[in-house]
Amino acid sequence: MIPLDRYPKGITLRDDARAVLRPMISKDAEGVWNFLRHLPEIDKSHFHEDVDRREVVERWAASLDYDAALPILALQESRVVGSATLYRNRTGWKQRVGIVRILIASDLRHKGLGTAMIREIRHLGEKLALNYLLAEVIEEQQAAVRALERMGFEKAAVHRNFANDRTGGLHNLVVLLHPLSGLEK
Amino acid sequence: MGLRAGHDQIYFGRWRRMEANSIDLRRAYHQLERLLREIAVALESEDLPAARLDLGKAIDALHASGPGEDGPEALRHLDHALSYAHRVIGDLLHEKGLPPHSPADFAGWFDAGEVPFREDW
Repeated sequence: MIPLDRYPKGITLRDDARAVLRPMISKDAEGVWNFLRHLPEIDKSHFHEDVDRREVVERWAASLDYDAALPILALQESRVVGSATLYRNRTGWKQRVGIVRILIASDLRHKGLGTAMIREIRHLGEKLALNYLLAEVIEEQQAAVRALERMGFEKAAVHRNFANDRTGGLHNLVVLLHPLSGLEK
Repeated sequence: MGLRAGHDQIYFGRWRRMEANSIDLRRAYHQLERLLREIAVALESEDLPAARLDLGKAIDALHASGPGEDGPEALRHLDHALSYAHRVIGDLLHEKGLPPHSPADFAGWFDAGEVPFREDW
């Protein structure tokens, strides 16, 4: 069972603005779609599907499965300003590895929201007794790489010209791993 | 929260300056030891396994530096211990819904010209 009793959780950002963290629910489709389609192009490149299309996000929202993908949203009033998703495999050789994807609205960056989301995912990873968290970040997103490193992620690899954006441009992909206490048990 | 002030007192201490001597390092060691003890007390009532793990790493790094040691290795271990301690303080603040702590905001109080650390994401 995923421990979700800590939500909704209020946090304060560097500029004293408040935000609330909670798991995404099916009613969030509109808010999440608005959030995703206003992200910079490079952030949208992560996705396997075109997140500018509303029906894609509506489909996700209708088929939420927290055991496979747990999206934690950051909201200011009703506006979605960030998301941190923890992906897990229920079986198989990577069932103790959580894959992390964190996205922050452009106007909310450099205020500590990204770091707060990393803290949240770290907490969930520990509660789920995972061994590792894995994050993949385009190398140009240096603020994200630095924040992940400051929070205990270690660069495991840099794959040259590995990721392509939606216009076909190639980017280096940084893979970061965070060992968790599950490893020591 | 007194932990932030305790952290900053060490963070901006003489032991990290070029002119630091072995007495400065020893003082930093004992200050850090006290800070980690206070952090451990604050953590007792919290369900924060990631923070507990970091506190353990901070204590290990502190012990690796040794109370009477100086030189670049001791300095490096103390620096690591302080970084882990800062992360735990950040977890405690996050848990209480308080804003993140950045020593840079308090540099003026310590007559520090340049602070390499910034919370930037």
